[in-house]
Amino acid sequence: MGQGSSQFSEEELQDYQDLTYFTKKEVLKAHQKFKALAPEKVGHNRNAKLPMSKIMSCTELRVNPFNDRICKVFSSSRDGDCTFEDFLDMMSVFSEAAPLTVKAEYAFRIFDFDGDDMLGVEDLQQVIERLTGPQHLSDVDTKQLIQNLLEEADLDDDGSLSYAEFEHIISKSPDFTSTFRIRL
Amino acid sequence: MSGSGGADRKSKKGNRAQVWEEAGGEFYQESYPGATTSTSNENADTADAAAHRDAAAHLATMLPSKQAQHTMGKATTRRSRNEGKQSTRKRTGNRSRFNTVRRESNINDVHVSVLPDFAVENIPNEERTWEEIMQIKAMPVNMAQKRELKAKLKSATKLRLQGFEQLKWQRRKFWQRCKSNWKEFYTKLELWQGSLKTIEGNFGIGVVSYFLFVKWLMFLNIIIFALTFFLIVLPSAILEPGQLGQCDPAAEDENNTSIACCADKYQNYTSSNNFFYDLVQGTGWMEKTLLFYGYYTNDIYTLNKEYKLFYDLPFAYLVTALLYFLVSLIAIVKSAARGFRERIIEGEGQFYQYCNLIFGGWDFCIDKLKGAENKHKAIYNEIKGCLEAERLETEKQNRSKKEKCQLLFSRSMVNTGIIVLLLVSMVTIYLVFTLSRSLLREYQKAEKHFLLFFEFMPSLMIVSLNLLLPLLFSFLVTFERYSPIVVVRITLLRTIFLRLSSLGVLGASIYRLVSCDRRNGCNCEEEVPLCWETYVGQQFYKLAVTNALTGIAVTFFVNFPRAMLAKHFENCRFLKFIGEQQFELPNHVLDVVYSQTLCWIGSFYSPLLPAFAVIHCFLTFYVKKFACLINSRPPSQVYRTSRSNYMFMAVLLISFVAAAIAVGYSLAEVKPSRACGPFKGDEPVWNTVKLSFAKLPSWIQGFAFFLGTAGFTMPTIVILLLALYYYNAVTAANRQMVLVLRRQLVLEGHDKQFLLSRLSTIIKQQQQERLKNAIPPPPSEFDTLLPPPPPEVMNSS
Repeated sequence: MGQGSSQFSEEELQDYQDLTYFTKKEVLKAHQKFKALAPEKVGHNRNAKLPMSKIMSCTELRVNPFNDRICKVFSSSRDGDCTFEDFLDMMSVFSEAAPLTVKAEYAFRIFDFDGDDMLGVEDLQQVIERLTGPQHLSDVDTKQLIQNLLEEADLDDDGSLSYAEFEHIISKSPDFTSTFRIRL
Repeated sequence: MSGSGGADRKSKKGNRAQVWEEAGGEFYQESYPGATTSTSNENADTADAAAHRDAAAHLATMLPSKQAQHTMGKATTRRSRNEGKQSTRKRTGNRSRFNTVRRESNINDVHVSVLPDFAVENIPNEERTWEEIMQIKAMPVNMAQKRELKAKLKSATKLRLQGFEQLKWQRRKFWQRCKSNWKEFYTKLELWQGSLKTIEGNFGIGVVSYFLFVKWLMFLNIIIFALTFFLIVLPSAILEPGQLGQCDPAAEDENNTSIACCADKYQNYTSSNNFFYDLVQGTGWMEKTLLFYGYYTNDIYTLNKEYKLFYDLPFAYLVTALLYFLVSLIAIVKSAARGFRERIIEGEGQFYQYCNLIFGGWDFCIDKLKGAENKHKAIYNEIKGCLEAERLETEKQNRSKKEKCQLLFSRSMVNTGIIVLLLVSMVTIYLVFTLSRSLLREYQKAEKHFLLFFEFMPSLMIVSLNLLLPLLFSFLVTFERYSPIVVVRITLLRTIFLRLSSLGVLGASIYRLVSCDRRNGCNCEEEVPLCWETYVGQQFYKLAVTNALTGIAVTFFVNFPRAMLAKHFENCRFLKFIGEQQFELPNHVLDVVYSQTLCWIGSFYSPLLPAFAVIHCFLTFYVKKFACLINSRPPSQVYRTSRSNYMFMAVLLISFVAAAIAVGYSLAEVKPSRACGPFKGDEPVWNTVKLSFAKLPSWIQGFAFFLGTAGFTMPTIVILLLALYYYNAVTAANRQMVLVLRRQLVLEGHDKQFLLSRLSTIIKQQQQERLKNAIPPPPSEFDTLLPPPPPEVMNSS
């Protein structure tokens, strides 16, 4: 802990505390985790940029089916490689203190595989594929499921979910706040 | 195109758009040149239709609402909503101007808008700036931009606050800092973080909620223990007892013994036993300790003679009992209300089952491979289950009459069978209780182990019934063919009923023993204990100990070997059938709630029992953790946190009500024993309250009596009923409003699609005409709106 605090200046820690949902101790804890991924590189430059494969190998993201999407969404260079600040952003959004709106915003981006700001049928198909893992749903079932999803959520009938519709159903999904969380 | 598509989808959701059906798709199907509606030829237009759709989609990306999503505007609109919720300051023109500028600008333009407007009234003051900095974290941009923004906000000119406002703002900042420091301190203390993370990593949040429940109960027990310790135990231990009334044997005769003489008799009564046996049963030397009710006297301790400070122990005893029930009730209701509020918010309108499953389905805290595999399987099973249930719904409605009769018959048979089982178990407990007493009477000179066994017979009987009957219940419920959720609920209800009724029978047997006309003598019959409250305390103490030990024994000596068998002999199906266990939440919840019920009822008769409950909760956490991680394989069904929390609180509330009724009845109706305790005498305990109430000043008494008269209660009831009706009506109206607005939203969407398709058609028309006339097209703004026409169109013209 002492080593960590000597790396960051007081002003930077205060900045991080103000701009994320973390306290200073949690920021340092996050940095420790980040450093554990590549000790020498981060030792040189505490805000080093680590490749996507390294980030995805950290314990929290290892078995997550959406780990590559998470890295891409939070990476400031949009290619999946994250600096410490990106990592901090990521953990802050997934922390318990983050409000539902922030989580919904990032969840939308994570689920939007083709990046067109709408959750279309292909996006939903990919989400379902990733969720069921090695077991594959039959085509008929997937189609039925997507149809049910759109029936529930697609209010303006355009065949895909816009952000407003997504936020609406998230606010009515009781499990989202408790599952969309990573404990550091 | 949009019209016909819309008509198809509308017919599927007939209910939704019923009111607006008249203004249907047909209204929009005008025939105009170039329109790809039903009037045009199907074959020739497939390519055209595709191009048409692309054009409309391209146009759609230029809508202002879509543009705003790419910029920070979206964040700021939500920010302004958040600000409205969080801050109670009045909005100034400055703030709304600040936000409207942000809404339309890109991140690159932000610094322009943040530059100070040199009109004095528009410069933000320190507090606003600080608030805005605090709001930056909600923005969906990366850290570097956030830091830039913060730096700019900080360096912008701002007004200093004056005087009182300065103080208020400083106080607010200080309060925020305190809160974050407290949060840091609290997370350092937090118990069991590591264990919870391990369980989370393997099983996900649903199972973790159970362990959080155990932790919550432990803290509740700590509070109850603190109450009883500081209000009852400590004063009794520290303060000097007053003088008991003297017993004058000469004045007594056979038929009339005074309370003082009874108390003397009790003090002189000892039962000699082994140290260990006494420890476990609570008799002998343990009986006269602080542990049991019998130790406490009905003294009014003098704290300080000069200032006339008294400590009324009986009153304190009663108040403590009321207090700990009240505290428990408040804690349960607060915890349940949190979940209840969320349920109401989502419950308005429909429950989005599939969306909840897909978007809230994956537990992001799972970090073990095995846990992830199980979660994939669980989600797959749940999806299949939901789709199946949908198909079953239609099947259920098509069930023939004969099948329905059969089902009804089997269900009633099962219910009758279960009621019979419950009655049999209740009778058994009563018989065992009376049997144990008669055996103890008969074999007073027998070996100590036999005596021990006889003493523990009722507790052992209750515990074994609690273990065996639920297995029977889950076997029988398969004949009733309910859906899985209903199966869980019904089994849970039946098991709760079993456990509470066994406690009730125990209580009733004791009641039968001690209630009689006691004008003569100190106790009812010779064999009835002089101090029945201590006897009750001992019974509950024994029951709590048996319960705890059995739980530990079953986990380590029965379930652990089973799990080992299943793991090592994976090929043998029979062993696997016996050995494999799942971590079934309902049963474990019942275990914990049962011990909590014992604590609630027993605490009145044994003030140190909450300490035992605290230790038991602490050990339970580790025992259940062992059972979860090592004995069981992960659950194959998704345990939803929301539903689990609701179930915990509901079960706890039912048990709480039962405990409160039991203790309340004994306070109000049952005569306390004459020989011991703070309430020695012939009047029920509630009399103390009546006496103390009579000591209050007359205006309070008058007020309390007024509250009870008809003149107050009738108007109050009427007003409450009216208020209830009003709020009900408002809720119904709101629900209707939501439906109407939703339908309107659907139609607005159709309108938008129609207009977009018309616009693209018109533009296409223009382009085609221009190409026909071979006029070089003047640069018009419409050129940028459509993608360049595909080559085929140019050739055909």
